[in-house]
Amino acid sequence: MNQNEAMSPQDGDVVDAVVGLKAGDPLFAVRHAREKVSSATQASYDLFFGEGSAAFPVHERLAVAWYASLLSRSESLARHYEQKLDASKLDATVLDAIRRDALDTLAPTRLSAMLAFTRKLITRPVEGDEAALQALTHAGIATADVVTLAQLVAFLSYQIRLAAGLAAMKALEAEAK
Amino acid sequence: MSEIIKNKGYTNETLDWKAWLDVVDPAAATPEQNRVLEMSHPKAKVSDYYLFLVHQPAILQQRSEAFNAIMYAPGGLSRAERELSSLVVSRINGCVYCASVHAQRFEQLAKRNDTVAQVFEEPRTSGTTDRERAIVQFSIRLTEAPENLGPDDVRPLKDVGLNDGEILDLIHAASIFAWANRLMLNLGEPVFPQE
Repeated sequence: MNQNEAMSPQDGDVVDAVVGLKAGDPLFAVRHAREKVSSATQASYDLFFGEGSAAFPVHERLAVAWYASLLSRSESLARHYEQKLDASKLDATVLDAIRRDALDTLAPTRLSAMLAFTRKLITRPVEGDEAALQALTHAGIATADVVTLAQLVAFLSYQIRLAAGLAAMKALEAEAK
Repeated sequence: MSEIIKNKGYTNETLDWKAWLDVVDPAAATPEQNRVLEMSHPKAKVSDYYLFLVHQPAILQQRSEAFNAIMYAPGGLSRAERELSSLVVSRINGCVYCASVHAQRFEQLAKRNDTVAQVFEEPRTSGTTDRERAIVQFSIRLTEAPENLGPDDVRPLKDVGLNDGEILDLIHAASIFAWANRLMLNLGEPVFPQE
């Protein structure tokens, strides 16, 4: 049982943790000089992964996040989301399909439709079309949950780049020492 | 706007945008939805984009807090340079709607449109100064290959005079358009003015 799956604000700032920024680091001070941005980033994370909903539970959101991070080759965030994921709540075939990026091995379900949409948004956002959105509706996903899914994947695209940018700044800072 | 620029499918004209699924009826919005629409954008109540996203008001509120702080907060990287990064990311991702909005904002702030014409024509060589070119190259790199980003990508920004606070603002501006472009491209489509 993964006790950490339900996140709470007390878990601290996820981007700081993933990049390895601590209070007292010069880059930590630079980042938190833009406190509105860092707090809204963390508040977004808490909304996505805090309580979830019956129609779109947290373990499915974490599966989406893990897949998006793997597709984006973000090792640090893929590790973060894989560790948060309670594998016992997901079918082994789903975990395997995510790990191997082989969605075609999955039977059509709500979750496989969400993972297909995730793949499109992450890797080929310009190919978005009405049919991809209708596919979610046809899989039985309500409009409000489509909004949550789209916002989640778009947020992940942001979080992955924010973490990568900060990590590059941190690496340059380390070189200068 | 001084002059219409149209090239390669991009334009600095004012476009509309329509959602592909049902939007919230403004007349039926809850008090929370109204509050979040009002803090998100001055025209949110007549915009399909915000009326669609406000199906989940709490998520939209945090997105808008982040977006508005990144694009409009005083100090740090100039607002025109934040708009340049947003424009370049939108051009690379193929978001015609976002590119039109941020082409206009860049021109309003910078009082010139030469860089906009370059970004529409070929983003990879765009920029009218060394500083603009460094901002452009970093924005493209962060958009296309965040997994390969390293100190060698940050150093050129320092070489043209950006300090750490300005570099953070640039990372924020480029990254928030990874978010914005994906929503605009996948939840609806631009509507072009009648010829």
